[in-house]
Order: sequence, then structure tokens, then C-alpha cells
Amino acid sequence: MRFEETSVGFPGVKQRMRFLSLSLVGWFACLMLILAGTLQAQQSFGTPSNEPPNEDRFVYKQVPDIEIETTSGSQTSLAAFWQQKPVLLTMIFTRCAGVCSPFLHSLRSATSDAGGLGNDYRVLVLSFDPKDTISDMQIMADSIGVKSDPGWTFGITSPADIRRLAAASGFWFQWDSSIQQYDHPSLVVAIDRGRVIRMLAGATVPATSLRQVVQELRGKFVASYAMAGKVAFRCFEYDPQSGRYSLDWGVLLMLLPATGSILATMWAFFFSSQWRPPARVILHDGGALPPFPTGYRSVGFVPLSGTEDNAQPDLAGIYAPTAVRPIKIREER
Amino acid sequence: MDVPATAAPLLSEAETLRFRRMTVIWGITVLLLLPILAALGYFMRLYQSAAFPKVKPEWFYAVLTLHSLGMVGTWFVGSMAGVSYLLLKYTRPSLAVSKFNYWGTLLGVVLLIVCTLGGLFGTGWYFLYPLPLYSQHIWSPLTTFTFFVALAILGICWTIWTLDILRAIAQRYSLAAALGWNYLVGKPGTEVPPLVLITTVTLIVAVSGFVAAVIVIALFAARALGVNVDALLMKNLTFFFGHVLVNITMYLGVAMVYELLPTYAGRPWKTNRVVAIAWDAVLFLILFAYFHHLYMDFAQPTWVQKFGQICSYLLSVPAGVVSIFGTLLLVYASKMKWTFASMLFFLGIMGWGVGGIAAVIDSTVAVNFHFHNTLWVPAHFHTYYLMGVVLIVLGFIDHVGKELSGLPENPLRSKWTVALLLIGGYGFVSMFYWAGAHSVPRRYAVYPLEVAQGTLYARVAVGFITVLLAGILLYLWETGKRCLKALASI
Repeated sequence: MRFEETSVGFPGVKQRMRFLSLSLVGWFACLMLILAGTLQAQQSFGTPSNEPPNEDRFVYKQVPDIEIETTSGSQTSLAAFWQQKPVLLTMIFTRCAGVCSPFLHSLRSATSDAGGLGNDYRVLVLSFDPKDTISDMQIMADSIGVKSDPGWTFGITSPADIRRLAAASGFWFQWDSSIQQYDHPSLVVAIDRGRVIRMLAGATVPATSLRQVVQELRGKFVASYAMAGKVAFRCFEYDPQSGRYSLDWGVLLMLLPATGSILATMWAFFFSSQWRPPARVILHDGGALPPFPTGYRSVGFVPLSGTEDNAQPDLAGIYAPTAVRPIKIREER
Repeated sequence: MDVPATAAPLLSEAETLRFRRMTVIWGITVLLLLPILAALGYFMRLYQSAAFPKVKPEWFYAVLTLHSLGMVGTWFVGSMAGVSYLLLKYTRPSLAVSKFNYWGTLLGVVLLIVCTLGGLFGTGWYFLYPLPLYSQHIWSPLTTFTFFVALAILGICWTIWTLDILRAIAQRYSLAAALGWNYLVGKPGTEVPPLVLITTVTLIVAVSGFVAAVIVIALFAARALGVNVDALLMKNLTFFFGHVLVNITMYLGVAMVYELLPTYAGRPWKTNRVVAIAWDAVLFLILFAYFHHLYMDFAQPTWVQKFGQICSYLLSVPAGVVSIFGTLLLVYASKMKWTFASMLFFLGIMGWGVGGIAAVIDSTVAVNFHFHNTLWVPAHFHTYYLMGVVLIVLGFIDHVGKELSGLPENPLRSKWTVALLLIGGYGFVSMFYWAGAHSVPRRYAVYPLEVAQGTLYARVAVGFITVLLAGILLYLWETGKRCLKALASI
């Protein structure tokens, strides 16, 4: 009882218990909020792969229209970009200690080489890291040296929108808590009128490849693309800058069949050993055959019909004298 | 017009008999292969009719490969054997080379059967780079190797055969004479029969096709050794070879008709200026017409595609139009002796014309964009093959069988056979045309829902193929008898 009285009747215990309970709930709620925030901040999307996104699966696919906040402070949409000009889109995060910065440098260099930036197309750089802010992106643009370039736009968007965009281009990103970094591919997606036209994946952007992409964004048909690895004997080489073809060594191989024909014909008609029949004198009981006209050889095989004793020459197609009497053929070599 | 002075390239009686025997053996072999290869085609259309739902599609593609290569090869050797036989009148081809080719061809065919029906090699006749090297574990690398060995054996044998006949022609005719150049300039010179002219042109072209095949095989070998090869170059070479092989087979068949149809019409069919110009033009045009197989390859420069279309159009005029009009003029108001063989010769030339028209339509770039991957393509090549050169070679075998056996033909059975071949054959190809015009794709074992109508067309085609097979069996019964008697009597 005492205890009960003491316990029940002790002033301040209830308040302390209530305070403790509320504190625990509060801590728990905060913990959950922090955890949720952390999870949101380090979200992941897609399946990591050692292979670059497969362009064939995404070309001509529609790109989702998403809301974008740019470093200039404007709220716009992706559609607003592609409705004005084709877009080269790339996704990075500013805390990246790996490929993002070198990749953007190489993109800047390649666009400079290809020309037409700002006139024929624009570059849009979006962050896929929810932690990135407009000021982070401004710093990034500054570090790349394109902050004041009107052809370049840096911006951020919502996590949901970045996931939609990533899904439409085969892009993926995975948070690696051990290094506090995202693992992700480097990708430039060429978008024209809302559809994926080409995709370039790799640690850098090769100038040649980007020239081809830019040609396509200009509406010009690019007939061939460089193949991975060294290729022996190509028929034609295509220069995307001039849009012209030049003959390559493979064309020589294409000439070989006709050359083979010419050589075979020469061999058959000029160099093969000519077969000559054994010299034959055509005899018959009344003397020699009528003389052969000029240009005819007086020797030649005359096929016989019947037995040798009763042989009849078949001179059709060889020489047809007006009167042919029974003859015999004797070979003289 | 003079006749060649050297004359004399004819064979002794014993040699002639041996050559006749060899020709009959070639003929019987063709007659044995025909129903087997036709049955493979029957299987494919049945498969597309959804008749074998439990059979794996790999079988369809393996059969497709054997059927296509087998048919092209069979009619090539059939027409080569025919031309060799007919050339005996003018030249002296080697019997030993013909025998060597026979055994080499048999070996090549056996290897093809092993790697298709045994190893499920299923790339189609075109074995387009790099497909043979990426089998998806359906066929083994050894099967691929065997396939190329088979091709190499066939290629070597046929090249030797081609060179031998060229050599034989060269022994009697100068190059200018064999190509009828004196007709071009309008000066008197050596008279050259159309058979010699067409064969010379055809075999010169044939060598280029075989050289292309050799390069393709060599580049495949290079790829196996790790050297990357340009796919566009490979496709150019492969289709050059394929286009040439199919065309020369047709031309050899036409050469036989030039030689034999006059004997039934009772009129000569001699070389003249138009014929010489026509066939000499083939020599050049055929080198570039094959570009129409690559219209969908956008990496090919546009000027090449345009040139391909022009050459395809022009190629149809000399070889096709001149020969078809020549046939009609030969037959018109003549005392034509309509036998089984002469009917097949005539219908073969007309079938070539029908298929040729469809081919010219398809060789138009704007049309090809719609037809290229549809059944229109097998429609046209089946027309000029099945209803063209096949009928001609069958006519030739019947002609020789009758000549050597002395067995007369039954006119009623002949007419029935021709009727069944025509109804079955044209019905069968018309389903290809109809399906192609309705965008049914080719090379599909099973039609997806989007083109489910292809299954219906295949079922109708199966009905026509049944009629066609009945005609073939009747033909085999009639002509087979004559060939066997001829073989026994020689």
C-alpha cells in the first residue's frame, strides 16, 4: 500500500513519465524523419550493369515531360526545351568524385568541336541527386566553364521526375554508402521533338561520335557509324562533318570477282593449251573431196555414221560440199 | 557467215556414249533431289500453317537453309549438265571434270544435309555475316565449320567445271567469236550458235560469283581468327555471289531453250545483232544489278542504290525481253511440235518473264521499301525459278530421256502433268505474292498476331503445293522411266 501510495501519490512522476514517453515518441519520429530523408537523399534507381545502356532499346522512344528548375531561377519543363531546339541531355550529381566532372569537360570539348551549340541544339545538365541544390549546380556549371554559355543549362528536378527520365533512357544510379557516392553510367541522350534520337555512353564523349549525333539533330541523315574495334576492309568511309563518302580498301575486294572473271577468260581464251585434233586426210573412193574454200583448214574431224566400211561423213556445221560420196577416214599424225 | 575452220572438237562414239551416260546420271540425280527438296518446302509452308506446333522453329530455319541451298545447287548443276551435253555438238568439254563435279557435288550436298538436318544450322542460304558465328547455342562451331567446308567443296568443283567449259569453248571459238562481236560491228565472221554465246557470257560471269564466294569464306575465316570484318562488305559480296548464281542458272536454262526449241519449231534460232547486243550487255549489267538486294542497307551510298536500280531495269531488257520475244516469234505461225519437253521449254521462258516482271517491280527503290522484307521476294524468285528454270531443266531431262531411250510419251499424261505443274505452281507462288502485298513478312516460322493472316495464306498455299507435288510425281513416273531405260541401254 505504502508503495502504492508512494508510487501513485508521488508528485511529478506522472509528468516525468509523460515527458519521457513524449520524448521517446518525438525521438522516434525524428529518427524516422531523418531516416526517410536519408533514404530519399540517397535513393537508387535501376539495375546496375557493366554494359552501357542499349541504345537500340530506347531510340525513337518518347521522353517524359518533367518540371525543371534551372540555375537561372526559372521554373520550366523539358518539353519547353525540346520544343525550341533539340537537346543533349545528361544526368550527373555535384558531389561526384568520379566521372561527372571529366565527362562534362569532355562534352564541352566535343560540342565545341562539333559546332552549332546554341543554334542547332542545347545542352541540359540535370542532377539526379535530391541533395543537389540550384547553387550546387551553379558551382558545377562554373567549374566546367559554361556558366555564362547560353547553350548550356543546369537544373534540378524532383526525385520522381528524375526516375521517369532515367527509365526512358536506360540510365541508373545506385547509392554506395561505403564510399558515400553514387554508382552510375555516363550518358548523353539526344532528344528531338520529345523522342530519343541517339545515345552516347562512356566515360568521355568522342568528338567523332558527337559530330554524327549533331548531324542527326540538324536533321541530316547519317548513313554509317563507327564500329567498335578495328575493322578490316571497309567499303566506304563516311565523314559526318562533310556528309561525304570516301572509298575504303574494302572496295578493292569488291573488284576482285570481276578481276577473277577477266583473268579466267584470258586464261581460257589466250593461255590455255589449244586442243588440236590429229591431222586427218579425208579419203574416198573417187579421190579427194572438193577443195576447201579459203579460210578453211583442209584437215578436220568428220564424224561418221554407219560402219567404217560404209561410212557417211556428217559435214553439217563444218563444211558441206555439194556432193558427198562414201568416204573413209585415215588418221595421219 | 563462215563456220569455224577448226571444226573437229567432237568426241568419238565411245566418248559420246560415256558423256550421254553421265548426262543421264546427272538427270536422274536431279530427279531424285527434286521431290526431297520440294518436300522440305512443303514442310515449311505446313509449319507456317501452324501444322506442327510442337516442332521447334529451329527446324524450320534448318530446313529453310537446306531447301534454298539445295534447290539453287540442284538446278545449277542440272543446267550445267544440260549445257555441257548440248555443247558436245560444238566443243569438247571434259568428261572427267563432269565426273569429278558429280562426286564433289554429292559430297558437298551430304555435308550440307549433315549440318542442317543433323546440326540445325539455320542461317538461310545467305549465311549472312556474322550470323553463322552467333548460333545462340542452336548449332555448334563444328557445324558452322562443316557448312563452310561444304560450300568450299561445292565452290571449287563448280569453278573447275565452269573453267573447263570455257576452255572447251575457247578451243573452237576466239573470244570475239564466242561473244558474237562480229555481229555487233555487222561484219561477217564466225557463226556462233546462241548456245555458245549465252554460255560464254554466263560462265564468265559465273567465275566472278565464285570468286566472291571464296572471298566471303576467307573473310569468315579471318573473323574466326579475331579480325573484325565490315558487315556491309560481307553483305555485298554474299549477295553478289547469290544473285550471280541464281541468274547464271536461269541463263544456262535459257541457253538450252535457244538450242532445243528450234528443233520442235522447225525453224532456226540464230544469233543476230540484237541477240549479241543483249547478251553482251548482260556481261556488264549483272555485275551491278545485285545492289537491289541492299536497298535497305542505308550505309550503302545513295548513288550505288540508284545505279543498282538502273542496272536492274536494264538487265531485264536484254536477257528477258529479247529471249521472250524471240521465243514467241519462233513459235508464232510455226509448225510447232508440242511435246512434253517443248511445252516445258515454252512455259519455262514465259515463267521467267512473269517472275522477271515481279523482280523488276521489287528492284524499284520506292517499292522495295515496302516489299523488301515481305513474302513478295520469295514470290518472285520462286516464280522465275520454279516456273522458269525448273521447267526448262525438267524439259531438257525429258528431251534427253526420250532421245536416248526411244520411249514415246503419252500425250494425255503429258498434258495432265503440265496442267498440274501450272495450277499447283502458279497457285503456290500467288499465295506468296498475295501475302507479300499484304505485308506478311518473310523468314517467319510462326506468324505473330499482327500478321496472323500469313497463316491462312500458308494453308491455301499448302493446297496448291499438294497439286504441284502430284504434277511432280506424275512427271517423275513418266520421265523417270525414260531416264532409267536410257541409262540401262547406254
